Amino acid sequence: MDQLAAREKLEQDVLKGLRRPGKWYLLGLAFCTLLFVNALVLWGYQASQGLGVAGIMHPVGWGVYIANFVFWVGIAHSGTLISAVLYLFRARFRTSFNRTAEAMTIFALMVAGMFPLIHLGRVEIFYYLLPYPNQRNLWPNFRSPLVWDVFAITTYLIVSLVFFYVGTLPDLAIVRRRMTGVRARIYSFFSLGWTGSLGQWKQYSRLYLLLAAFATPLVASVHSIVSWDFAVSILPGWHTTIFAPYFVAGAIFSGTAMVIILMVPLRRTLQLQPYISIDHFEAIAKILLFTSLIISYAYLVEYGLAFYGHNQVEMELFRYRALGHYSVLFWLMIICNSLVPLTLFIKRLRRNLAYLFVVALLVNLGMWIERFILIVTSLARDFDPYAWGTYTPSWVEIGITFGSFGLFFMLILLFVKTVPVLSMSELKERL
Amino acid sequence: MKQDGPALLIAAGGGLAIALLALSPIGGGLGSMLVVLCFWIALAQGGIAVAATCDLVNARWIASVKPRLLALTPLLLLLTILFLLLWPELQHYPWNGMGGRYLNTDFFMGRNLVALLLTYAAALAYVSAALRGTAQRQKAAVIYLFLFVICQSLVAFDWVMSLEYPWYSSMFGIYFFIESLYAGLAVAGLLFWWRLRTADREQGQVREHFRDLATLIFGFSILWGGLFFAQYVVIWYGNLPEETGFIVRRTSSSTYLQMAWLFLGCNFLIPFLGLLSARVKNSPALVGAISLVILVGLLIERLLYILPVLAISPLTALAQFSLLGLAFVVALRHRSATGDRAEEL
Repeated sequence: MDQLAAREKLEQDVLKGLRRPGKWYLLGLAFCTLLFVNALVLWGYQASQGLGVAGIMHPVGWGVYIANFVFWVGIAHSGTLISAVLYLFRARFRTSFNRTAEAMTIFALMVAGMFPLIHLGRVEIFYYLLPYPNQRNLWPNFRSPLVWDVFAITTYLIVSLVFFYVGTLPDLAIVRRRMTGVRARIYSFFSLGWTGSLGQWKQYSRLYLLLAAFATPLVASVHSIVSWDFAVSILPGWHTTIFAPYFVAGAIFSGTAMVIILMVPLRRTLQLQPYISIDHFEAIAKILLFTSLIISYAYLVEYGLAFYGHNQVEMELFRYRALGHYSVLFWLMIICNSLVPLTLFIKRLRRNLAYLFVVALLVNLGMWIERFILIVTSLARDFDPYAWGTYTPSWVEIGITFGSFGLFFMLILLFVKTVPVLSMSELKERL
Repeated sequence: MKQDGPALLIAAGGGLAIALLALSPIGGGLGSMLVVLCFWIALAQGGIAVAATCDLVNARWIASVKPRLLALTPLLLLLTILFLLLWPELQHYPWNGMGGRYLNTDFFMGRNLVALLLTYAAALAYVSAALRGTAQRQKAAVIYLFLFVICQSLVAFDWVMSLEYPWYSSMFGIYFFIESLYAGLAVAGLLFWWRLRTADREQGQVREHFRDLATLIFGFSILWGGLFFAQYVVIWYGNLPEETGFIVRRTSSSTYLQMAWLFLGCNFLIPFLGLLSARVKNSPALVGAISLVILVGLLIERLLYILPVLAISPLTALAQFSLLGLAFVVALRHRSATGDRAEEL
């Protein structure tokens, strides 16, 4: 009887989030939507005026748009990874974060997917990139890692969507049971006739395990491919073998930070304290610390080996990163990604949610800067000193960047009011 | 650590024999010693690192083999002492005499010796805390793992990669310490096979632990394959002569090419394809065999790194390898003789 009561309480507590939104929620949603609409207007302006309104020009042909793409793909890659890996390793604290992390993956992929299109300039002819017989005799270059990217990210989006959707099925059925009218019909449609029978649970468990096992190496491979967008070129600072594991670790790092950024306020506003304990946050803070150490190791190795090989071009590039035009950003990156997370060695700080939230914000700032530094400095200082230059983002690029954050948080806010943010079915197993 | 005394003594005896062999006129010089050290240090440090990692994440499967993995600690001291034998042979490194600030004989020996000694000290502290089951063991595990990564990175960058100076690959460090963990898991696989062959109690629980390990080895085979490919594809695609030379030298002549395919098969194809099957994952003998194949693959890989650069005396290398192998088995067997303390851990 106690267990029944506990289950009832759990459902009520989690489904509180689906109730009519309050004033602050609507204000937040309006602000995010405004940022996104502003970005759409700016994108329209760029489409009408040409790519010249962006700051990208010779020699820096990849600027903030590509930095944003890599940043959001990074955020996207950790959501499913956190959920799938923790599921495979039977980590119990997973249930506190998995639903939001999986949703974060899908939304971040949607945001990331916009940037190659924005970067194209003439977005209306993006279909030239599609591989189909055409009178222009244009074919994608399948040896280009940019094409590998398209296939990898599309596969990842599909698998992540299926993983997320399958995971929500039992919960959607619970929502269906508790709703009335049109909402009940909508949830009934999306719960695919889930009844919770033994046979369904058996199939569900098998499928979920299979998806988790499939998603884990997929995540690593996809972000490795993103890293090869850079590493297979021969530009100094890009052409280095460590990029694949370094990018994967970076993705988990920034994504974990984003999960913390999302979950700290959600836990408070939706009053989920009984289900998301401080221990759970401590566990995820340890993942943040661990990935920070890997990132710092990669920085050290990259720098050390640039000087180890006595390659003049590499040495100049790495000197430029630390002491050149973008040095302030570089050192900010080191502080945010390597130094600040070290404070998480202190247990008291790991368990302080306000502090953890600030660290997560700084980590994401640092990771965005890292993408910027990585992309821009290598293009700005390649082999030929006569071709060197600098790059400053234009107000159009800055506006679109803020708009991408607006879109992401807008989608998250809509998700919070549509789908239970915690996996009730998994939480019930713990009761 | 009282129970490590006899094992330490036997290991020291073995070490002395290896040293005499290395310093004798028939000694194989740098090549033989380097192959042997590179291989055994991956196993010894990796085995302890696997135990430390499991302690950190509260993994339960390790309990069945943890005492034996921890018994590898004295080998770290032996390997540190044997490392000193490389000192007179460092002139074979291509950077010798160039007066580099990082690559010079004194600094090379100094930093590696310090790293090896610190890793040994950290292992001692960790093993002591783990055997006593104190709360300090997680802190000690973090320190050990930190030093393990540094030490394996130095093995990668200094011992092996600098043989091909000025060639470099930034992946080498990560690749080596992941490979060392992979070797540690393979050692655990062999230990499970041994334990399930002889144990007459708690079979059920040990079997459960064993299945987790088999899945982990499967996961690591994918990780290893991913890292190998990630390093290879960047060099292949870049197609820069100063980078591809390393691979071309190891794939363009008959014996090396076969060795390259062999270690790829041993470290990735066989464990991956073999452990896809649930039946294989449930068989201690098959997982034990796959673990052995992984270790053979590791040895072939280390040989392939060193052989094209340094001459190796096969007999000396074999004798040194066998003596260290004997010390390895003695260390493991000695812990077994003290009784199974899995429950306490």
